[in-house]
Amino acid sequence: MTRRLKLSAQVVALAAVAGLLALLVWQLGHQHHAPRVGAVAPSFTLRRLEGSGTVSLSAYRGKAVVLNFWASWCNPCKSEAKVLQRDWTQYRDRVVFLGVDYHDLSSDARRFVDVHGLTFPMLDDGSGNVTHGKYGITQVPETFVVSRTGRIVAHLAGPITNPTFAAEFRSALAKAAA
Amino acid sequence: MILRFAAVVAAALVLAAPAAACAHPRTSLAYLEGQVMCPTCHTTLDMSDSAAAVQIKSFISKRIAQCATAEQIKSELVANYGQAILAAPSHKGFDLLAWWLPVAGVLGGGLVLGIGVWRWSRRQRDDVPREPAGSGLDEETERRLDDLLARFD
Repeated sequence: MTRRLKLSAQVVALAAVAGLLALLVWQLGHQHHAPRVGAVAPSFTLRRLEGSGTVSLSAYRGKAVVLNFWASWCNPCKSEAKVLQRDWTQYRDRVVFLGVDYHDLSSDARRFVDVHGLTFPMLDDGSGNVTHGKYGITQVPETFVVSRTGRIVAHLAGPITNPTFAAEFRSALAKAAA
Repeated sequence: MILRFAAVVAAALVLAAPAAACAHPRTSLAYLEGQVMCPTCHTTLDMSDSAAAVQIKSFISKRIAQCATAEQIKSELVANYGQAILAAPSHKGFDLLAWWLPVAGVLGGGLVLGIGVWRWSRRQRDDVPREPAGSGLDEETERRLDDLLARFD
């Protein structure tokens, strides 16, 4: 009886250790990373920040897309907004611009859009499931340029007003629009 | 002078009016800061001064001034950011596991410890050498011992 009890305790302890190890492996395997340039842009559906309804990235297959992740509390996003609006106006017939508002209060985000006069579609990702979960972003702003085939052609992990990113963004934009 | 006094009184009345209008005791920012997470830094609001945390603190202060209850403010934040904005998991569905697993763990640990202590104490008792049933002397020695003791009587 005692022997059986001892054996059962050992089995339970081993199972607990195996469970914890499995949890660790699962956690390591599910860490969020930004998709690489050349990879297919992760699909998503988000509700519109203004008005009703949702927008899916897959709806724009066949068109080049600029995905800009931002938040109203982010200071570099303010200076970037003017540049994005200017580029959107210039490329709107060839490239789709989508703004994704991340971990933000919707009311503040709407005010941000109004103040900066942004007219391209804005999507609400308050929970961060797409921004962090699918695109591995932890800080904003970040911008992805997606080709007509749905592949990522540029990933700019910082404001596009930054001289390093500005040149890369304009080059990727011109390439995607061609 | 009178005008200045009147302005101060008017300002005090304007500020006091919303407080007087509250039908229930006001919640506080300090209370909610410990219950709401900063979404970008994964700590509670009271531990963070990040831009996102400052924005949420400002929202909470505004809603408190508007007499919103703690539950109302929390549900508005959940609607905006999702359930992860709350520091503690909810008391329903799968989240219940987070509440009951630690209790089960403590109870299970206590049980294992109790059984261990009980078995250890029983083994200790079994190991104590027992007194021999008799004196352990053979008959001859016992008889001589009796004789010797009789001399002292």
